[in-house]
Amino acid sequence: MYTNWIKLGLSKGITDLEIYAVKNRSLKLSVYQNKLDQHVQSNVESVTIRGIYQNKLSTVRFENLSDTNVSQMLDQLIENAKALTVVEPAIIYEGSPSYPEVHEDLFDFQSVPVIEKINLLKTVEQNILSCPDVSQVQTTMYQEVETKTALVNSKGLNLSRHQSYAYAYAIGVFKRGESDIQTAYDIKLAKKFSDFNPVEMAKTTIDLGVAKLGGKTIKTGSYPVVFNNEMFSDMLNVFSSIFSGEAAFRNMTPLKTKVGEKIFDAKINLINDPLHQDAFFKLPFDDEGVACQRRHVIKDGVFTGFNHNLKTAKIFNTAPTGNSFGSGIQIANFVLEPGTKGFDELIKDIEDGVLITDLVGLHAGVKTISGEFSLQAAGQKIEHGKIAYPVKMIVVSGNFFEMMNHIVGIGSDLKFNLSGVASPAVHIESLMIGGE
Amino acid sequence: MLNKKELQALLEKALSTGADFAEIFQEDNQSSVLRVMNGEVTSIDRGNVFGAGVRLIQGIDEVYGFTNDVSFESLQQVVTNLSASFSGPLFKAKKLGTAKPYVDAIKRPMDSVPMAEKAAKLQELSNIMKSHDPRIVQAMAQLIENRQTILVANTEGIYQDDVRTYTRVIMMAASMENGQMQQAYEGPGRYMGFEIFDELDFKSLAKEVAISSITLLTAEDMVPQVMPVVLHNAFGGVIFHEACGHPLEATAVAKGLSPFVGKLGEKVGSDIVTAYDDGDVEGAWGRLSFDDEGMKTQKNLLIENGVLKGYLIDYRNARKMKMDPTGSGRRQSYKFSPTSRMNSTYIAPGKDKFEDIIKDTKYGLFAKKLGGGTVVPATGEFNFAVMEGYMIEDGKLTRPVRGAMLIGHGKDVLFKIDKVADNLEFGQGMCGSLSGSIPVDVGQPTIRVSSMTVGGAGGKK
Repeated sequence: MYTNWIKLGLSKGITDLEIYAVKNRSLKLSVYQNKLDQHVQSNVESVTIRGIYQNKLSTVRFENLSDTNVSQMLDQLIENAKALTVVEPAIIYEGSPSYPEVHEDLFDFQSVPVIEKINLLKTVEQNILSCPDVSQVQTTMYQEVETKTALVNSKGLNLSRHQSYAYAYAIGVFKRGESDIQTAYDIKLAKKFSDFNPVEMAKTTIDLGVAKLGGKTIKTGSYPVVFNNEMFSDMLNVFSSIFSGEAAFRNMTPLKTKVGEKIFDAKINLINDPLHQDAFFKLPFDDEGVACQRRHVIKDGVFTGFNHNLKTAKIFNTAPTGNSFGSGIQIANFVLEPGTKGFDELIKDIEDGVLITDLVGLHAGVKTISGEFSLQAAGQKIEHGKIAYPVKMIVVSGNFFEMMNHIVGIGSDLKFNLSGVASPAVHIESLMIGGE
Repeated sequence: MLNKKELQALLEKALSTGADFAEIFQEDNQSSVLRVMNGEVTSIDRGNVFGAGVRLIQGIDEVYGFTNDVSFESLQQVVTNLSASFSGPLFKAKKLGTAKPYVDAIKRPMDSVPMAEKAAKLQELSNIMKSHDPRIVQAMAQLIENRQTILVANTEGIYQDDVRTYTRVIMMAASMENGQMQQAYEGPGRYMGFEIFDELDFKSLAKEVAISSITLLTAEDMVPQVMPVVLHNAFGGVIFHEACGHPLEATAVAKGLSPFVGKLGEKVGSDIVTAYDDGDVEGAWGRLSFDDEGMKTQKNLLIENGVLKGYLIDYRNARKMKMDPTGSGRRQSYKFSPTSRMNSTYIAPGKDKFEDIIKDTKYGLFAKKLGGGTVVPATGEFNFAVMEGYMIEDGKLTRPVRGAMLIGHGKDVLFKIDKVADNLEFGQGMCGSLSGSIPVDVGQPTIRVSSMTVGGAGGKK
């Protein structure tokens, strides 16, 4: 099918074209009050075609795979390419000399009967409800996803990726009295069904929720701040676009002239690590067919260079880094190198500080190009080197670039988020906290 | 798309094991994104979302399936798989009715406008921003066009098609001085075609975006504090959207996860607050002729003079709540089962004048432009960002401030609204929730909240 589409495109006058096709199968189940609340099954194949016409590259994405539609889409691609005025490198890749091998046994989640999956959710829900502080479980969710990706182009490239995973979580509603209401959840990602342990999942959720009860706001002021591993991963994830070669080319990052300079505290090492052993998704090649590679983006605080796709690499006269994902440049398993301090040791010298365990509204409270962030947060007060009491309804604010130069300590508890970013807990000298 | 006879056959098959309701939603969505950066057309991407979603309900239990293979055989297989979940007494599907006419008053659909004309309009906007000041380092103008054709058929006899046309222009200016960067943007959109350029003054907006981007370079960091906040009209309505809109959706109410559960007829805000969600405002970004369950959209009164009057309810939650649906069943695409969502949600105009509200405020924050926000309905805690703000001192706007974040609690913020102006306007955004990302309007006249927690990075010693 793909070869025929390539032939058709070439016959229409497209110089080179590439087909990126994703077949996605998924099953989603949710349980509410011991009953199946949602059951969604899907099968979708979506196709992206990139093509070069008169040295201009244009993209079409579609799900109607009929011959008529494919032909119309190719015509549209040509029309769109004609209207581009910009002169930029347009590249369809012949392939990297070699690709890293990924050895993973893919589990077939379909081999587990649906009833077992529902029972897993029911057990998680029941276990959470056994906690006296839980008023209800808002939802208990399971989803399994299987994707098969093919990358085929007119230069002879023919690559494929296959992924299969599942995740589950429950949102517990914790309540003490009339007005002290908190929610908590913990996403458990699994490569095989037996990775799910309902008792453990419930316990983690309960521990998180109970720790939040009795939370109050604190006095406005400047405090030493520790982000737990998940929250610092989230911060690194939202700010990762500042390392994009596309952002550099478009003047959308203040780092444009900083390659080779020390921009962060010397304790900071940030690594693109597509095949990291703990990563959920190991990536042998990117969406343009470039082999992925391990690369320091920040080495001892020094910015070593931008993440590039084929186009920006050519513009900056360097090699592509295997970071073309989606329609732009993205990190491929991005790791903040852990330190040696355990969590207790990390906070032991803090007299009066705040541990951040929740950040809400990262899509709105962050300005990546200026580095500014101002975010609704919750967590724990730290007093005399120990966790003192829960804190909620505060705003933590600062500047990412400044913060990365005021790192007091980096923990050892490295954890990967679903986003593919991994971080340990990090102790920042001080940030502004808005409270009462 | 499948014909009526095929749909009828599939729906009948869907009820063959015990489901009492079935629905088929077919979609063909064409979209185009044209982007201009610093005067050059850098990309034009075409997108096509195409497929069908099938939903079966028994009582309040639901199963959903979707695929982009919309052949009769493929959907028959989906129906077979889904119906295996149910057993029980058999119900009969009603005969599919006749589609009602929908509004499709589009003057210039996306594919009727030459690409060169689109490009020229956008280049002009980009150039206005870029030439405003040498400190503007990137001026982006983006044209987003969408034409979504849908057909929904269900066992209650609903057979309804609709064509929704959306056009939006996003303008963004990034500025730089002494290694420090800022950015500002505007993104007005309408339920219309390319004639949006005859309706809105984009050139003035482009100029405003550039001015805002430069202003932010010299703005001071907001000093965190608890203070009165004046929220300007249009996108200021994000406060109601987050603090009350989401918690009034049946998705939250039916599970008891909202501060507004059981409060119908009770006072939930100050007397000067009246609010609506309207699914049928002509030309509005959040409008639909028919919702994604085939029901005619309507104007829903939510709060009247501070008293809670209604919720936003979809078909399935109507069964759970034993109330009528409100034409609020929406979904991003066939990849989502529909649920209760907002359309154009707004606080109705009051009697105060904008200038008087500022004059009457001794000390506070004027939030001129608002960004996105979040709410957790179960706790009622919400937040939203201020994109452009000014301090109010002795009744006058003084210094620009940046990086302010406002937080609060849904159950008490409406009581703290002590001024409502007469200058109602809408702002446009994409709202993300259970059934995906959908176009919505937020709206309000300028209002004042007597006290809010304001966060920011300023005032550090």
